[in-house]
Amino acid sequence: MPALVRIAATTALLALLPLAGQETPSAARVVGPGVPAGMVTIPAGSYAPLLRTSDEPERVAVAAFWLDARPVTNAEFLEFVRAHPQWRRSQVSPLFADQGYLGDWAGDLELGARAAADAPVVRISWFAVRAFAKAAGKRLPTTAEWERAAAAGFTRADGASEPGFNAWVLGGLARPTPEVLPAAGSGRPNFFGARDLHGLVWEWVQDFNTAMTTGESRADSGLERNLFCGAGAASARDVRDYAGFMRGGLRSSLRASYVVPNLGFRCARSLPSASSANSFQ
Amino acid sequence: MKTIPLALLLAAAALAARAADAPRPCCAPATPAQPTAPCCAEEKPAAPLATRSLYQLDATWTNDAAKPVSLVSLRGHPVILAMFFASCEYACPVIVNDIKRLQAQLPAAARERTQVVLVTFDVARDTPAGLRAFRERMSLDGQWTLLRGEESSVQELAMLLGVKFKQDGRGQFAHSNIITVLNPEGEIAHQQAGLNGDVSETARVLSGLAKVTAVAAK
Repeated sequence: MPALVRIAATTALLALLPLAGQETPSAARVVGPGVPAGMVTIPAGSYAPLLRTSDEPERVAVAAFWLDARPVTNAEFLEFVRAHPQWRRSQVSPLFADQGYLGDWAGDLELGARAAADAPVVRISWFAVRAFAKAAGKRLPTTAEWERAAAAGFTRADGASEPGFNAWVLGGLARPTPEVLPAAGSGRPNFFGARDLHGLVWEWVQDFNTAMTTGESRADSGLERNLFCGAGAASARDVRDYAGFMRGGLRSSLRASYVVPNLGFRCARSLPSASSANSFQ
Repeated sequence: MKTIPLALLLAAAALAARAADAPRPCCAPATPAQPTAPCCAEEKPAAPLATRSLYQLDATWTNDAAKPVSLVSLRGHPVILAMFFASCEYACPVIVNDIKRLQAQLPAAARERTQVVLVTFDVARDTPAGLRAFRERMSLDGQWTLLRGEESSVQELAMLLGVKFKQDGRGQFAHSNIITVLNPEGEIAHQQAGLNGDVSETARVLSGLAKVTAVAAK
């Protein structure tokens, strides 16, 4: 399909174009036939880890990728467990999901009053969401990708410099999670067109287990050499980024079988590779 | 979930590979000096795996002889499992040393039944040849299995073991130092975190498991 290849390649090239200076919405929101339905393009950029050791770079390059515009809903997850019975509540292996998996649902294949169809699915383990992503031909975003997307404000790629944005993010943290979650995707789109990265639910990332703050909570106050190989002193980039600390703290406390009442997920996809873009020439 | 027939097929392939490699014929009669080869236990029709068995993972690994290995081929034996990478400058030689100390604390029979498996984080650099060099450098005998796998398999195993890891800019990996003991069904029986620790509790668990499996094998 040369035409499709051409469209995909063009999209990839557009997305990979280095954006000079301030990113503008028109350049950032690459939409078109190449972008999968329900996803937005997060153009190539970088991510500044909140905590890093002295020999880690200040900014990590993040290649352009596609990200679901909103978290995955109960209805979508229900379709998945219908097709993959081993991920139903009654059948999931305890190795892959703790007790309470899909605990808001009324039954194996029934959502019920506490889990609105269009609300983000929660109480799902990393193993389960990874299987969902795989079945959808997608993957989970990495920490760097997720943070890159979520660092955007409403009107700027760099939300930290947008007046009021950080306060808005903190406001979301201050609100308790409601008994029944509202619809996923009802939030205001950010600069890249992604919704609800803040304020609705926490989200799983592919490599959440790279967040290393302590070996075990009883024993230490910092990174201990006997528990973690290669651990040096970590220093924080921006101590005002309270929400970033919260996310890092959550990630470092998770295990892949955990299910959490306000932890959901969304999927990502890599753009067609540079080699396929080259074949266009 | 994981289709067991597929897992068994993979196991069979892995067993064939192990057998080809083995320093003695597979299923030679066990003697005190030469315990029953791991493959013998697998030739009986296998019961379904325990619900928390790590052997449900369907990943295929590659050992340092470039042969495919499935973890389920270890079924029936107590296993000491740790993750490492061969170019590690600090902790990994210590983990190996800790495991050797642990082995030394086991009664002879338990020591012989216990298999040791090291799985590398470094999927790019730790080729079978790299693992083989590590085996020689650390003087690891035939009870040690050194494995590499796909990145996603490594991540999945690390998740199941609760091992955190992260590659830094120089290609080194920061990682949790955890020694895991698997029971003969592949379930986590015990975990020891940290280096240079007291291994006597881990040794006690392993000795108990080895006794049970020795009885089962009779």
